[in-house]
Amino acid sequence: MMEESGSVPVLEMRGITKHFPGVVANDNVSFNLLKGEVHALLGENGAGKSTLMKILFGFYPPDAGQVFLNGHAVNLTSPAHAIANGICMIHQHFMLVPTLTVAENVALGLRSSRHPLTDLAAVTKRIQQLSDTFGLQVDPLAYVWQLAVGERQRVEIIKALYRDASILILDEPTAVLTPKEVDDLFQILRQMAEAGRSLIFISHKLHEVMALSDRITVLRNGCVTGEANPCDTSRAKLAQMMVGREVKLAPDKPHTQICEPRLEVKDLVVEGDRKTDAVCGLSFQICGGEVLGVAGVSGNGQRELAEAICGLRKPKTGQIKIDGQSVPSGNAKAAREAGLSYVPEERMRDGAIADFNIFENFILLNHGQKRFCRMGFLRFTPIHQHSRTLIDEYTVKTPNLETPAKNLSGGNIQKLILARELSSDPKVLIAAQPTRGVDIGAAEYIHERLSHQRTNGTATLVISEDLDEVLALSDRIAVMFEGRIMGIVNREEASRERIGLMMAGVDPDSPPADYCPSPE
Amino acid sequence: MSDLINTTIIIATVASGIRLATPFLLASLGESIGQRSGVLNLGVDGVMLLGAFAAYYTVLKTGNLFLGIMIGLILGALIGLFYAFITVNLQAQQGVSGIGIYLFGLGMSDLLFQKLVGTPRPIMPFRILHIPLLSDIPIIGEMFFDHSLIVYVAFLLVPLLSLIINRTTYGMNIRAIGENPEAADSLGVSVGGIRYSALIIGNMLAGLAGAALAIELGIFQHNLTNAMGFIAIALVYFGAWRPLGVMAGSLVFGVVAAIVLQCKTLGLIPRSASDLAAMAPAIITILALVVVANRFRQPTALTKPYVRGG
Amino acid sequence: MRRFNFGTVMLVVLILTAFCVLPAGVMAAGKMLKIAIVAPSASNDLAFTQSIVDGINAVKKERPIDLAVTDGTFVVEDAAAAIRDYAKKGYDLVIAHGSQYGGSLKEIAKDFPKTAFAWGTSADTFGLPNVSSYEAASDEGGFVMGMMAAALSKKGSIGVVGPIEVGDAKLFVDGFVAGAKAQNPKIKANVNYIGSFSDVALAAEAARAHMAVGADVLTGTAQMVVGAIGAARSKGVAWFGTQADQTELAPEIVVACQVYKWEVILRQILADMDNGILGGKKYAITLANDGLMIEFNPKYKLPDTVTKIGKKAVMDIKSGKIKPLK
Repeated sequence: MMEESGSVPVLEMRGITKHFPGVVANDNVSFNLLKGEVHALLGENGAGKSTLMKILFGFYPPDAGQVFLNGHAVNLTSPAHAIANGICMIHQHFMLVPTLTVAENVALGLRSSRHPLTDLAAVTKRIQQLSDTFGLQVDPLAYVWQLAVGERQRVEIIKALYRDASILILDEPTAVLTPKEVDDLFQILRQMAEAGRSLIFISHKLHEVMALSDRITVLRNGCVTGEANPCDTSRAKLAQMMVGREVKLAPDKPHTQICEPRLEVKDLVVEGDRKTDAVCGLSFQICGGEVLGVAGVSGNGQRELAEAICGLRKPKTGQIKIDGQSVPSGNAKAAREAGLSYVPEERMRDGAIADFNIFENFILLNHGQKRFCRMGFLRFTPIHQHSRTLIDEYTVKTPNLETPAKNLSGGNIQKLILARELSSDPKVLIAAQPTRGVDIGAAEYIHERLSHQRTNGTATLVISEDLDEVLALSDRIAVMFEGRIMGIVNREEASRERIGLMMAGVDPDSPPADYCPSPE
Repeated sequence: MSDLINTTIIIATVASGIRLATPFLLASLGESIGQRSGVLNLGVDGVMLLGAFAAYYTVLKTGNLFLGIMIGLILGALIGLFYAFITVNLQAQQGVSGIGIYLFGLGMSDLLFQKLVGTPRPIMPFRILHIPLLSDIPIIGEMFFDHSLIVYVAFLLVPLLSLIINRTTYGMNIRAIGENPEAADSLGVSVGGIRYSALIIGNMLAGLAGAALAIELGIFQHNLTNAMGFIAIALVYFGAWRPLGVMAGSLVFGVVAAIVLQCKTLGLIPRSASDLAAMAPAIITILALVVVANRFRQPTALTKPYVRGG
Repeated sequence: MRRFNFGTVMLVVLILTAFCVLPAGVMAAGKMLKIAIVAPSASNDLAFTQSIVDGINAVKKERPIDLAVTDGTFVVEDAAAAIRDYAKKGYDLVIAHGSQYGGSLKEIAKDFPKTAFAWGTSADTFGLPNVSSYEAASDEGGFVMGMMAAALSKKGSIGVVGPIEVGDAKLFVDGFVAGAKAQNPKIKANVNYIGSFSDVALAAEAARAHMAVGADVLTGTAQMVVGAIGAARSKGVAWFGTQADQTELAPEIVVACQVYKWEVILRQILADMDNGILGGKKYAITLANDGLMIEFNPKYKLPDTVTKIGKKAVMDIKSGKIKPLK
């Protein structure tokens, strides 16, 4: 047996190839990880990062290639096997059982010291030790469903620490965290690396990769396209490696002629799912050719606001006007007919039907129109034509028109929805989290389309947690906190600091809590 | 004098309710374990019928009650194995497969009965098991400790299963894969293995319920269970998938049925309302179900076959 | 390969199931007159269906009959299909043994005017010339056994377990209670219709409920009473049976049973057919025409006084001195 030495990487994956029907997910990928390093795996959705990691975690075997741990070839056949070899994975979607307590979630799958009985007291004690050492605040006795997203993330990390993982895979761990939570997470991860653990950090967020990693490997279309050191690279270079061409990180924003207000919202009060007021008397208006960005941490009433405007949720009180015409509340059809389009936050739940194919999803709204339907029968020729035009125009990547929407990548689904929503040239567009979970190339394209629509005179409301996105797209920025607008500032006057304060509920300049730019 | 009669009647009614509740309790305990692991089995009644016939036939031929019970359990285990194969390996749609099991049990038990037995012949039923001290307590003893062994077993299973579900790693695994099998899988818990075992245990209890019914009644005939298995499934929802809740549900159903019977016997319910009153246990159970259903959520993964990475 | 063709698997299961659920058997024997019986429960159910099969078999000893039985057709549509099938195949007499089959029979009989149909228990021939109806005066035997039960009861309390208050069951129960009251006006005769023809467990508990309030003689009717008989047996409480001889279910406690001898009216129906009459008549088995018999269990030590009461009651009903429900 060879002694473990600094020169031998703790993990090496050599020539990994994996095919799925019709796709080469990994093509001769090699990757190594040194002790105590944070190695970022950067790539767009579908570049093969997750496949590579799932092979490492024993979910499925590679078609070719070999995995070495500390210089020894291993065949990892199951997650249990990987865990036994000191590999732990923090998945993009948390692998937690909401109805179990934190301690139970941590103990799951491990042999108890009091087998067959559980020994949750011992587990609780150990969790407390770990949370003290690493500053991971979490109540071991709380049920996971009671925890906020950031706390759940901490539970995932504790699970890995509890298993004494020497290799930790983090699959897009920041996707659902607020900026503050991301900072805390990075601090913990650095601390873990310093303690001698090796981390694989999967992401497509350039600035996070730059901030955290010791080394960066970039994947595109299943192949390694480059390796870089954060000290001697730049976001633009990384983006180019990821996408394969130069990327514009913010769209051009030509000056538009601000005309009449197209969307007016007045004294809107909306009840949330918990039966309390989620939106507390909002008023604002958006003019044609203007983008109003709504910034704020998720859960401060943004979703309810969007749904109320779109008629999906009946507001308690308040008025919504499109082009001066009042829209009946809680009536999605009327809102649509008044010229409104909606790109929803939960795109697979509210934006597309997963099992419907591409063209069916394209005609969800207008399949009743004469051009698509005659005497109750669908006219497939014009439908296919229409769909093909949209696919070409919006560069939706799909094998064919019959592919179910669920088989598309996040970015392509979003392009599909955007294509459908913009094809009617809306008067008002509500876009909620338009690029969340979407790769850079697609995000760039979506931003361009939104900007194009702005030029065409649409009044756009962009709701986003991504402050960069809000700053890049908006003419004015409204910050929502606990159902209220903390203030609306012009883009030129908006600084990150000022908006960050407002997102935390601090009023930067008094008094107007409810800013209402009504012309009277 | 009349006080004495009233006491006797109350004792008899409670004891009757407990006897009526027993097969429901066994079957719904079994069903709750399967459902906790994320698999719905609508075939409980069919398993009960097969268990009932197997036990009846064994006792008829051998006169050995213990052997009858064992055969009922083994048969349940075999069906559990088969059902696990269908739902775990073949990933069949659980609602339809369960109905298939039910129809199979209903038809097969009757076919076997006709071919092997024909005319109903009585078998020796359970004897009352006298428990020293407990059975001698006045009133309480007669209500709760004047039953056959199987009744005690059924009710002792409640704390035992509570312990297994809530306090063992095995129980924790069951709860986890019923909620989020992916998470359990990612931690190295064998989703398929746990579901297999949960379904085998669950169907063993259904087989036991049938065996207990046939031996308690000392007879078998076509559709002996009279759809008890379906009520047992409702009682699982009533009991919010917890052994204690399931017990409460079974007792409500059994005791209400016993009270209605006793009231009819005493002429307290007019003959014209007789059939309406016979529905009381079902109606009360449904009402309770509605109240409970709003408070508790079913296991998230219930009825969903688990496919890795799917 | 994981997604094994599930459709195929379920198809196999369903076919197997269908095979098991199908009526248990179609049997045939003999020659000459072709008779078919379609009946709801098993032909050896110790109750309703067995009584008609036994009846035909008794007649078969006297004259050549080609008999076919389709039993277990608790689904009316299945029964209707079987009835029509037999008529089409040229059976001379098709017996639809179940009042629930009436609606279907009414339609089928019109299509086969040359076939004789009999159905029961009922008193309705739909005014069709090729349909006979038959029923049992089960109140008569009920009355006789009610008198004996009242005489046998030491505590002055007896219990009845019934299914749903309709048809043959109601007739029997009413006769039994009337008989008990006639013997002892002070008797407590509690009737418990459990609301089901098939809930054996509930029938058992109904019997226990009767015993809890002091009943020391029990009776009951319909196929779920096997449960009640078991409960009575466990407490050694006397039992009166009906529809078939239930002695072998509990030889220690069965006192006597009212037995249906359908052969009595079957002979009449066949005789009419010999004379070219295919139906339009109503038949009934009674104590007077020996279609109903009270069969005593020889193993049960019944006090002579009670036996005498029973035998006298039979004579009185036969002679018309007692009219049970009038």
